[in-house]
Amino acid sequence: MDPTETSPRARRVGGGLLWFAALGGALSWTVHLFVAWATDELACASGHTTLAGFPVKGVVTIGVVLPALVAAAALATAWLAWRRTSAAAGEDDPRMGRAALLAVVGLAANTLFLAIIIAGGVSLLVFSACQR
Amino acid sequence: MTVQTEPDQRRPEVAELEHAWHERPSLRTWLSTVDHKRIGRRYMVTAGVFFAIAGVDAIIMRTQLSRPNNGLVTPEEFNQLFTMHGTAMIFLFATPMFFGFGNFLVPLMVGARDMAFPRLNAFGYWVFLGAGSVMFISQFAGAAPDGGWFAYVPLTDRPYSPGRNLDVYALGLLFLGVSTTIGAINFIVTALKMRAPGMSLNRVPLFVWAMVGTSFMVVFALPALNLANAMLFLDRRFGTHFFDPTHGGNSLLWQHLFWVFGHPDVYIIVMPALGIVSSVLPGFCRRGVAAYPLMVLALVTIAIISFGVWVHHMFATGLPFLSYSFFSAASTLITIPSGIQIFAWLATMLRGRIIAGVPFLFAVGFIVNFVLGGFTGVMFAMTVFDQQVTDSYFVVAHFHYVLFGGAVFPLLAGVYYWLPKFTGRMFHNGLGKWAFWLVFIGFNTTFFPMHVSGLLGMPRRVYTYPTGLGWDPWNLLATIGAYVLALGLILVATGVVQAIRRGPAAPDDPWGADTLEWATSSPPRPYNFAVIPQVHSLHPVWDERSREAMATGDVLAGHRAVLTSELDGDREGPVEMPESSLLPFAAALGLLFVVLGLLWGQYWLAVLAAFAVFITLARWLWPPHRTPEEAGVAREGRAP
Ligand code: HEM
Ligand SMILES: [Cu+2]
Repeated sequence: MDPTETSPRARRVGGGLLWFAALGGALSWTVHLFVAWATDELACASGHTTLAGFPVKGVVTIGVVLPALVAAAALATAWLAWRRTSAAAGEDDPRMGRAALLAVVGLAANTLFLAIIIAGGVSLLVFSACQR
Repeated sequence: MTVQTEPDQRRPEVAELEHAWHERPSLRTWLSTVDHKRIGRRYMVTAGVFFAIAGVDAIIMRTQLSRPNNGLVTPEEFNQLFTMHGTAMIFLFATPMFFGFGNFLVPLMVGARDMAFPRLNAFGYWVFLGAGSVMFISQFAGAAPDGGWFAYVPLTDRPYSPGRNLDVYALGLLFLGVSTTIGAINFIVTALKMRAPGMSLNRVPLFVWAMVGTSFMVVFALPALNLANAMLFLDRRFGTHFFDPTHGGNSLLWQHLFWVFGHPDVYIIVMPALGIVSSVLPGFCRRGVAAYPLMVLALVTIAIISFGVWVHHMFATGLPFLSYSFFSAASTLITIPSGIQIFAWLATMLRGRIIAGVPFLFAVGFIVNFVLGGFTGVMFAMTVFDQQVTDSYFVVAHFHYVLFGGAVFPLLAGVYYWLPKFTGRMFHNGLGKWAFWLVFIGFNTTFFPMHVSGLLGMPRRVYTYPTGLGWDPWNLLATIGAYVLALGLILVATGVVQAIRRGPAAPDDPWGADTLEWATSSPPRPYNFAVIPQVHSLHPVWDERSREAMATGDVLAGHRAVLTSELDGDREGPVEMPESSLLPFAAALGLLFVVLGLLWGQYWLAVLAAFAVFITLARWLWPPHRTPEEAGVAREGRAP
């Protein structure tokens, strides 16, 4: 195959969706960390237990649950992308090979980030917001 | 195994290429060269010298601590010793050394003729040399930083640290940061735009992935450190109060900023080393590293997660438990990608045919030590354990297992592995094996006992200790180990010098390895590859089609390289590479005087030098007259 020509199959999996599949988990974990940690540390440091009327713990919970859902969605997307691309893995087509790599990396990475969000989030069941 | 991958040297195109890339040896070309191989070798030699000086600092400390109530150095001197040892090892040795490897190897591994920005590359080296010299000269002048390598405020702020010592720290690291940052950007652009045609992301060597991951971490982490140091300098010199709580500042701010940089920095140091291990194993196991996609995954996720763990350095500062737990989760699970790499290497060895050469020995030594360092690291991720042993010798033991075991062992593996490529000479095998065993035994004798003295309560950063606490034998053992270790390292250096002076000429591919640097001569010609390789697999040198493409392809004429697309490595067209120039050296020299002016409080000098830097940069950036083809703006065979 002419390597400069984009195969239609590759184009289907090559767009923004593939990037979401590869990096969605990482991005949602970043958002989670900043929202959950920053809210907790800053609110407690300034002696508040509510934030604009919401309890701090509620805000932190949202900062755990929403990103976890996005990471799960990215995981599902990566799985779909992987099913589409893995079939072509043996061919000498740089494009499909590259898309398959991104899909596998996304699959594993999203699982990992989802696990991190959940593992940190579980502590909501144990600690109150500003316990030291 | 010899493969004919280079086209015949006598072809007229090749002669013309030799002419276009030739540099006459002279002082001028020594200062003006932009060849990534020369710059890479310089980085390695300079960082090696800095390693030796920081190592001497360590030996002095160990000698002082060999027995209780020793009086070899004063407390003030000891403060400077551990601070300069730590700061130099981290900033002036580890990262620049790996940048040296990267400089030499990344262009070769991706089949390019140079780094993407050769002049910036030269500039980065000169800045590194300047920053390192300033910091070490301060030590000989008795005014070296003395607030520990992480320089916590308020101790390092006024009025607790008068004198120039911490100004050297803040300015020296800011100056160095210029070099590290542009080096990182250069690696990223080189890896994204200069790969040989056909090298899609799934065919990029793991060492290159590691350098790119490292560079992304540098680009995101270093600004935090630069900001912190700029604020520290302002606090100290101009009376601002960023870190002063009595005037509305915040002293934990320093810790946050420092560790937002500092933890990724652990991986900035270790990740290139992981890449080296993944490069060394295939040649000695006769097969590619197992589970390539998972290895890529590990590098990418480590680079990301390393930014979400910094608060584990602050588990003893009294923040809310809930906020700790998010960092605890990331700190614990970041071991999974590291574990994946360990298992992939073990699988590679199990399923390969092992040849136990010297580089292989160091790679195995690395795995042993790194597992131990990782194990104690997981222990710290438990907040309660961390609070018990923080600031004890247990921590010193842990981070030397990670930093020495995890970075220096792979580094030495890399030195032996690529020495034939760097110098064109083979090393003496027996000498290398001796060096390995001395380093391995010396290392463990030095640092294992520190776990024990730490658990027995010995705090770090003490210049001496009373007898009768049960610490004496462990300290003596550690000191003996340090001398054995030093002997091993001297043998390594001897082996390198011996190879350069008397070693037999090295073949192009002495290990029968798989990546493109072995497809060219040892050492490579200034243009690296006469024919730009067309890559058909992850192991181009092992793969018939890629080899054939290199042997029969057209020579790319002129002082040019090829640009390709970021993801798939599609050929985009040739680009004219910059000629050598004195401007990078001049700009770095100007910057050095800016730093010295600020350090000495001679602000007129700083301003004058800044102006000179500005003029130099303007001259540097002034657009030359080039056709679109020469400048690489026009693309081959495609509408613009
Ligand atoms: C060459 C063998 C080495 C020996 C014998 C050695 C020994 C020591 C000793 C005795 C200390 C002081 C402990 C204290 O008083 O608290 C220390 C601190 C330290 N070392 Fe090493 N070291 C070696 C190599 C390295 C390497 C290769 C690195 C990093 C790449 C490194 C990084 C550090 C750091 C960051 C500190 C902490 C400094 C501080 O407390 O501010 N060392 N080392
Ligand atoms: Cu850390």
